[in-house]
Amino acid sequence: MSGHKDNQLVAIVDDDDSVRGTLQELLRSAGFPSRAFESAEAFLGSGHQQETACLITDIRMPGMSGLELQARLNAERCRIPTIFITAHGDEEMRFQALRAGAVEFLPKPFDDEVLIESIRAALNR
Amino acid sequence: MRFPDEMRWAPGSVWSIPLRYGLAFVSVAVALGAATAFAHFHLPQTFAAFALSAIAITFWYAGTKPGILAALLSSIVRNYLFDPTTSTESRLLFDLVFLVFALLMTLVLRGRNQLELKVAERTAELTELNGNLKREIAKHNQVEAELRLSEAYLAEAQRLSHTGSWAWSPPSGDIRYWSEECFRVQGFDPKGGVPRYEEFFQRVHPDDQARVADVIETAVRKREEFMFDYRIVYPNGEIRDAQSTGHPVLDPSGGLVEYVGTIIDVTERKQAEKERERLREAQAELAHASRMTTMGELTASLAHEVNQPITAAVNGASTCVRWLTREDPDLGEAREAAQGVIRNAKRAADIINRIRSISKKGESNRQLADVNELIREMIALLRSEAKRHSISVRTELDAGLPKVMADSVQVQQVLMNLIMNSIDAMKDIDQERELAICSQRADKGLLMISVSDSGVGLPPQQTDKIFDPFFTTKPHGIGMGLRISRSIVESHGGRLWAADNTPRGASFYFTLPAPADVGA
Repeated sequence: MSGHKDNQLVAIVDDDDSVRGTLQELLRSAGFPSRAFESAEAFLGSGHQQETACLITDIRMPGMSGLELQARLNAERCRIPTIFITAHGDEEMRFQALRAGAVEFLPKPFDDEVLIESIRAALNR
Repeated sequence: MRFPDEMRWAPGSVWSIPLRYGLAFVSVAVALGAATAFAHFHLPQTFAAFALSAIAITFWYAGTKPGILAALLSSIVRNYLFDPTTSTESRLLFDLVFLVFALLMTLVLRGRNQLELKVAERTAELTELNGNLKREIAKHNQVEAELRLSEAYLAEAQRLSHTGSWAWSPPSGDIRYWSEECFRVQGFDPKGGVPRYEEFFQRVHPDDQARVADVIETAVRKREEFMFDYRIVYPNGEIRDAQSTGHPVLDPSGGLVEYVGTIIDVTERKQAEKERERLREAQAELAHASRMTTMGELTASLAHEVNQPITAAVNGASTCVRWLTREDPDLGEAREAAQGVIRNAKRAADIINRIRSISKKGESNRQLADVNELIREMIALLRSEAKRHSISVRTELDAGLPKVMADSVQVQQVLMNLIMNSIDAMKDIDQERELAICSQRADKGLLMISVSDSGVGLPPQQTDKIFDPFFTTKPHGIGMGLRISRSIVESHGGRLWAADNTPRGASFYFTLPAPADVGA
């Protein structure tokens, strides 16, 4: 079932503890190793950007938003395939995210199959 | 008994000394003149009779000494002027007669003086008695006037308070006393006299009669006090609300003498109560409308707040299915994931319940409430909204606060209003955005809750206007939030006020009384 390489880490950024925790569990059940961060700042400060093969991030968070994080990574030439998950997604936001290179833009709650397919797609880029 | 000197009878005090002695001379001279005239007309010799009269008159009007002088003068006149030829025996006899008469007159005079003294004493006594009587009458009149005044005041008080008083004897069934105000309240004509009990009862609204009769009968049987509300139907059909109270008067052996009590016209009071009730309802409606408006503004945040645990639950369920549908299903992992589903679904339900309780419309319901818990719940609800505007929320809650008697929904409405105002005040500023909510004890058994922000601060020069109805600084505000919040806090016996923070921002404070008799 695994089509990914072991050193390919999935990073999760969401300020909600339960969403973050259950997402990590979901990825573990699907065989993806992951790391979770409660904010964009925490992810940027962790030093794990380079080994991250896929980023799953919330958009609206205290401090830096998911879109700002994407812009920042793009600016740093650290292009990580990114999947956005949000409860407030509108078309404009979705369009902006995809234009900036997002792999997928999923409204919460999302279908696990769709998410996992997106992760696979990101890892196989 | 002592008399003033002028009251003691004495001729000297009436006549002067020359007049008194002059009377002796004049009266004897008149006696001589009369006797001489009688002799001239050959009438019987009567000088002695005239002289005795003269002596008597002098004694009576001029006193003892002028009387004795009159007797001496009579003797001299008789012996030397009127009848100089008379014999020595005859002269002595006349002298003796005058002397004896003078002595008799002295006695008479003394008797008269004593009598007059007694009369004077008696008169004085009577005068004093009369004086006392007059004083007593005056006092009685004054007491009566005071009593009348006091009755007038009482009648006025009864009229003003629409309270009549009565006395009723259940054994005989007679109404023994029925104050003026009772006539007015019950709609009886005072000219018709005190009504009979049956007449009173006929005025009671037919729907109230059975209850009233039962209350009275039970009270009389048990010799207890009674109180009942009833309606009075006037002959013209007008209906008044009244209340009657009565308490039994018992004799020393415990027998029922009578009931005394009151009848109060409470029509206006009831009317005012109804008005107040309507006002309360209108306020509750307004508060509810205001809450719903705020909740409407919060829809996006609240949806997000509910969506998070649902997302977590869906993740958990997906995870569970994955563990179960593997080639070698892992039941332990699946169970753990399923438990996470339960936890998160419950969390979603909690949030929905919180939203529902804030949105519900209902009677004010005061119970002992933990202010800190109310604050925490409200923060949980508004967390997404704060997050949306990158506002950090800090709380300083005194863990040892006593519970307060409060309507939780209303207090949360106040918190929601204040927090939403703070968020509004901060959402457009570039500096740090911090919302601080504190609870602490204040003076005099009060709890104080403060909501502080680092926003734009209170509108300058209009600090006192922010609580006015329809005052707003927001483009879409209706300006009722703070007004309603203040009325909610005041209805709980607290106060709500605002102050500017240094260097920026504003703080809103409100107090709630902590009941002294309930534990923390």
